[in-house]
Amino acid sequence: MKVNNMISGQYYPGSSFFHRIDPRAKILAVSAYAVVLFLVAGFGGLVLLAAGLAAGIFLAGVPPSWLWRGLRPVLLLIAITFLFQVFLTGGEELARLGPIPVYREGVFRGAFLALRLMLLVLSGSILTFTTPPVLLTDALGRLMSPLTKIKIPVYELALTMTIALRFIPTLVMETDRIIKAQKARGALAAAGGPVARARGILPVLTPLFVTSFRHADELAVAMESRCWRGGRGRTVRRKLAFNRRDAAFGLALLALLAVSLWVGRFQPGELEIWR
Amino acid sequence: MQAGIDSQAGPGAPAKTSLDARQTSTAPGLRLEMESVSLVYQAGTPFASRALNEISLVVEPGERLGIAGPVGSGKSSLLAVLAGMEAAASGRVLHDGREVGGKNPPAPGSIGLAFQSPESCLFEKTVYDDVAFSPRRQGLADGEVRRRVEEALAATGLDSSRFGHKSPFSLSAGEQRRVALAGVMAVDPRALLLDEPTAYLDPAARRELIARLVDLNRRTGVTMVMVGHDMQELAAFAERLVIIDGGRKAAEGAAKTILTDVDLLDTYGLDPPGTVVLSRLLSVATGRDIPAVTGEEEAVGLLLRLMADGGIMSPP
Repeated sequence: MKVNNMISGQYYPGSSFFHRIDPRAKILAVSAYAVVLFLVAGFGGLVLLAAGLAAGIFLAGVPPSWLWRGLRPVLLLIAITFLFQVFLTGGEELARLGPIPVYREGVFRGAFLALRLMLLVLSGSILTFTTPPVLLTDALGRLMSPLTKIKIPVYELALTMTIALRFIPTLVMETDRIIKAQKARGALAAAGGPVARARGILPVLTPLFVTSFRHADELAVAMESRCWRGGRGRTVRRKLAFNRRDAAFGLALLALLAVSLWVGRFQPGELEIWR
Repeated sequence: MQAGIDSQAGPGAPAKTSLDARQTSTAPGLRLEMESVSLVYQAGTPFASRALNEISLVVEPGERLGIAGPVGSGKSSLLAVLAGMEAAASGRVLHDGREVGGKNPPAPGSIGLAFQSPESCLFEKTVYDDVAFSPRRQGLADGEVRRRVEEALAATGLDSSRFGHKSPFSLSAGEQRRVALAGVMAVDPRALLLDEPTAYLDPAARRELIARLVDLNRRTGVTMVMVGHDMQELAAFAERLVIIDGGRKAAEGAAKTILTDVDLLDTYGLDPPGTVVLSRLLSVATGRDIPAVTGEEEAVGLLLRLMADGGIMSPP
């Protein structure tokens, strides 16, 4: 089950408005959103940003169960953040949990940070839910391409990332196969102490490494035999071009961010806890 | 692992006798059964795909069953489900009448399963250790482990004294395949399930491996299921044949009946065995009604008979 989930990864196939936006625009949008998320100091701005994200999620057509899947891994972190704020921020006493006082500012601040973290994770998930990984690295490479001027091998880095992403499902399937094969040989009984259990991984790890190196070797030979010679002078098949949809999306986002910033701007005296 | 060995050290002798008892038993083969089994990969995601569709199947103890079908027809999935390694989405898989799959793993040591290219799962430092892995896990005494390893290597045509100390990674692909299969056989399973065990082997090695498998089945009575795509090979191996297409059971019957049904094979994009083609050509060439033969030795016999009674000219 777990293995299968990893194969499908984060991408939710579809052709929604959000799916069709230029991946570069999406990356820039999510980055800008994240920055504003941390600049906004009041709840009002945060609520506006949340509303904007909700609209984005609606436009992406991703089912809530998938959002939950994206959020689940960081729930613990969010919970811990919230509790720390609740118990470690002083101020006006709100209630008492036994001997521990709970302050109004603590609850306020905890909720604020929890919401901010949640929005951060969800906005990132929208990007990965609606953009195939290969397109994502492609766009990243394109966005960073000015860096080639200062001799940073952007194209090679992007290609490395694309290949790495491309091989995740392959390796996951390979692992699944090896686990099953070794299980059939009785090789994966999870018994004994930690040393025995660590040794128990060897029947999976050794073949996996051998296969991975073989894959890498074969890929290198295949690329060379097809005249791959690095990124200089390369053209691309899938040309990315900004269009009206991207422009509309960009303008809407800018408006949202500006209004959120203004609404949630730092107001002296209102919240002394935001020192 | 240490604890496991210690706990087995005491009752080492009884384990041996029970093993001996099993070997002298008249029907050591396992009965495998599937009742309208379906399998869906990545269920509940947009990537869901149905690999098996309502397949029912019985493999009798000691039988040699061949499974054929086009690429992507679900042959390998069928094997994994039949082995109890993959849980079916619906339907039941029974080993000797006991339901397996999911939370009910098959009885320990009852199933030997070799996926495609099993040599990719070799991991120990020496051939001996790799083949000995499962018997050691079964908690057998050193002497018994040695006997199992030597027997399993011999069954695949490798000499333990020559190969035992070598690293499996230093061997040729064909030798690695044999070591991997020996590792599966060393479990001393009651059913051996093999997914294209001859793939990527040279013709001589294929023929030899099939002959060794048939020999092992006849000697020990272990149930065998083999997925294959070479019909001549299946003709040499299988008593009964099942054709899978699009996750469904398309045909089932005596190997000879299916392999000589050229039209049926053609429907599923399978080539009839060369000997069947040969007997057909001979029928046309001689104008006589020559029965289709599936075995290579049979084909030679047929040719000799035809030459003897003047049906075809003997070579000059």
